[in-house]
Amino acid sequence: MKFGASTFIWVSPFSNKTLDLIGKVKDLGFDLIEICIEDPATIDTAAIGKRLAKEGMGATVCGAFGPDRDLSSDDPSICEKGVAYVKRCADIAHELGADIVVGPMYSAVGKTRMLSPEERKAQRALAAANIRLAADHAAKRGVRLAIEPLNRFETDMINTVEQGMALIDEIGRSNVGLLVDTFHMNIEEKNIPAALRKAGKHIFEFHACSSDRGTPGEDHLPWPEIAKALGEAGYDGAVVIEAFTPEIKEIARAVSIWRQLAKSQDALAGDGLRHLKSVFAKAA
Amino acid sequence: MFKYSYDALVYYGEDIAKSIGRVARFGYDAIELVGEPAKQDAKQIRSLCQEHDIAVSSICSIYSGVQRDLSAANPANRSKAVDYTKSVADFAAATGAPVMIVAPSPVGKMAPESDPKQEWEWAVKGIQDAADYAAPMGVKLCIEAWNRYETHFINRLSQCIELMKAVDRPNVGIMGDTFHMNIDDASIPDAIRKANGALIHIHFADSNRAAPGEGHLDFKPILRALKDIDYKGYITFELLPATSDPFGTLRSGGGREFFDDYTRQSIDVIKKIEAEL
Repeated sequence: MKFGASTFIWVSPFSNKTLDLIGKVKDLGFDLIEICIEDPATIDTAAIGKRLAKEGMGATVCGAFGPDRDLSSDDPSICEKGVAYVKRCADIAHELGADIVVGPMYSAVGKTRMLSPEERKAQRALAAANIRLAADHAAKRGVRLAIEPLNRFETDMINTVEQGMALIDEIGRSNVGLLVDTFHMNIEEKNIPAALRKAGKHIFEFHACSSDRGTPGEDHLPWPEIAKALGEAGYDGAVVIEAFTPEIKEIARAVSIWRQLAKSQDALAGDGLRHLKSVFAKAA
Repeated sequence: MFKYSYDALVYYGEDIAKSIGRVARFGYDAIELVGEPAKQDAKQIRSLCQEHDIAVSSICSIYSGVQRDLSAANPANRSKAVDYTKSVADFAAATGAPVMIVAPSPVGKMAPESDPKQEWEWAVKGIQDAADYAAPMGVKLCIEAWNRYETHFINRLSQCIELMKAVDRPNVGIMGDTFHMNIDDASIPDAIRKANGALIHIHFADSNRAAPGEGHLDFKPILRALKDIDYKGYITFELLPATSDPFGTLRSGGGREFFDDYTRQSIDVIKKIEAEL
């Protein structure tokens, strides 16, 4: 089992100014770093690739989806920007030697509206068609896409594993699967281990987040059962801690983090990793 | 023996007589009323409750919009929010409710408008004014925290306690809500134990805000914690549909299971767990 940490724990946006984070994440004991792409223009894949190689670190790529790159927007030009963005993320992944792009790529985060079943169906079909375009581009580069269900306060579209699987089915591409995140699952799933078993081979990435987005293990999630269920689902991908720094106001506001959730962001990642390594070793 | 009530909030748009009848039919001790005094007839509610032999447990105040913002930067709005809170206290007294909910900042306000310390002081002052008004009527105010997506102001029980201490009035306590606590309190039973002496009201909902049994919350340690602190208030079920705009869902005819089905299920599931303690 490989363990990763998201750049969102410490910085936003990631750029050449924050390259040292790669060494820090390695020193904390992680095998890979999840590089979050808020603006592809700040991403210098040559410099990042060089640093990854020097530190012997792997990478995954996470997309950030705001209203200007919405793959199910009513405005076709915004959909186009969304598709171009996911394609660019796939290129970045390929250039970094990563094989996956993750994120809630079906809509803009924070878009929560009341829709009729017909409107919802149309929005889902539009998202599926646009993700398919990006998926075919990614497939040629050996890159997979993982769609992330979000809780009800962040999206009206895909809140549960079941809804995520229906969308994947509609997309109909073998390089498209799910990113499951325990923070969102805690709010939306009736039974987290059962949902993981149900998602089975469709789980392409796993975000190990505490119920309050603080330190995994210092929360009320049933971690041993979660680790066991992931094993039963046949998952052998990365276990990635995602959290957000309250120090950067824009990102804190975007994900509703109003307080420090751990002693420090280093402690969140380090203590969380120790907990997860112990839980997954016992479940193996 | 705990006392149970069901929040009429989810019976959105329904005639109150029907709501009171349903809650009584499924064995509740009381009903929680929506805090919209101008739209309701306290006298009629009192006589309906007498007829069905149930009490009014509490008033679920509705803090939404700039004119119900106890920490608003605009003094006219702050004053209107205090007036609103006092009108709910009158409604509580008129319906015989011992407790009413108070919130320092309206739902959906996601950032302070001015200095956060100043806004905190305004909230303290507003709650004090309303509490002093409510005290002679025997009405208590309980401070509620909401999850991080509904307010930036207070999200956890420990923050409710901090605000309660700053308010420092004998008729002001705090409340919990297991839906919000599942997101923002690292341990629900621990948070309840730490609120010993302060907790005067609690809302129950499962992790997905549906009836207990529909989500993954383990209510046994939660009930045990309430028993350990000798909790004397009501356990009130406040359930809402799983959307960011639950009232929009109810308005468009969704959420029918929250009426008969979940009213029955909530009390049945929790009473069964209570019996196992």
